[in-house]
Amino acid sequence: MSFSPDPLPTLLASWRIQPPPDPGFRRGVRERLGAGVAGATWAAFARRRAPLVAGAFAVALIGGALGGYDHARARVDEDRARLASAYVAGLDARRMVPAR
Amino acid sequence: MTRNLILTLLLVAAVAAAAFGVAFVASGDRTLRVAARQGDALEWLRVEFSLDADRFAAVRRLHDEFSIECSVHCAAIIAARERSAPAAEIAALEDHCVGAMTAHFRQVAARMEAAQGERYLALVLPRIRGHTHQGAPSVRLAP
Repeated sequence: MSFSPDPLPTLLASWRIQPPPDPGFRRGVRERLGAGVAGATWAAFARRRAPLVAGAFAVALIGGALGGYDHARARVDEDRARLASAYVAGLDARRMVPAR
Repeated sequence: MTRNLILTLLLVAAVAAAAFGVAFVASGDRTLRVAARQGDALEWLRVEFSLDADRFAAVRRLHDEFSIECSVHCAAIIAARERSAPAAEIAALEDHCVGAMTAHFRQVAARMEAAQGERYLALVLPRIRGHTHQGAPSVRLAP
């Protein structure tokens, strides 16, 4: 009785996989890793979109400051006009009526 | 992702609100606001035109003196109106009142530094006409 040698080890030894190269493989891995981290913390989320987030904060800061300044100056002007009118009116005999 | 986006928007809104508040407080004029709230026009004069103690005392003295003169004008105008005096007489009284007010404001301006005095006149002279109020002369604003 003779045994024929098992062809499997030979076959496995000669087996080579040659998949087509994927140029986006590394980037895809990095993105998936990054997405996982970004989903975990806001800091990582913001770091990944640093220019956008920084821009939004800058616009908010400048816009808020300008709005506050304008609003304050408008109120100062309004107070000034009211006080000036009251001051002049308080000395205008033509506009007085007898106190009842 | 959505949670972080919402958080980002909230933070941006908070930054905008904080910047608004800081700029509003820093740019406002608290003394003017207090004077307006209290209806204190003389205090407004002191602050608005940077009057030191001596100038303010002089302005207050002029103001008090003119308030008495103004009361006399007021009484004359009211008396003329109540007895239905001729329009020309009332107009003459009112012209006299305008002249006295203008002279008073110029006297007050003369007690201020030159630039402040000019600014004061530019602010008050155009307001001589077209105001209404009731009662005795006062620098208190109506509530």
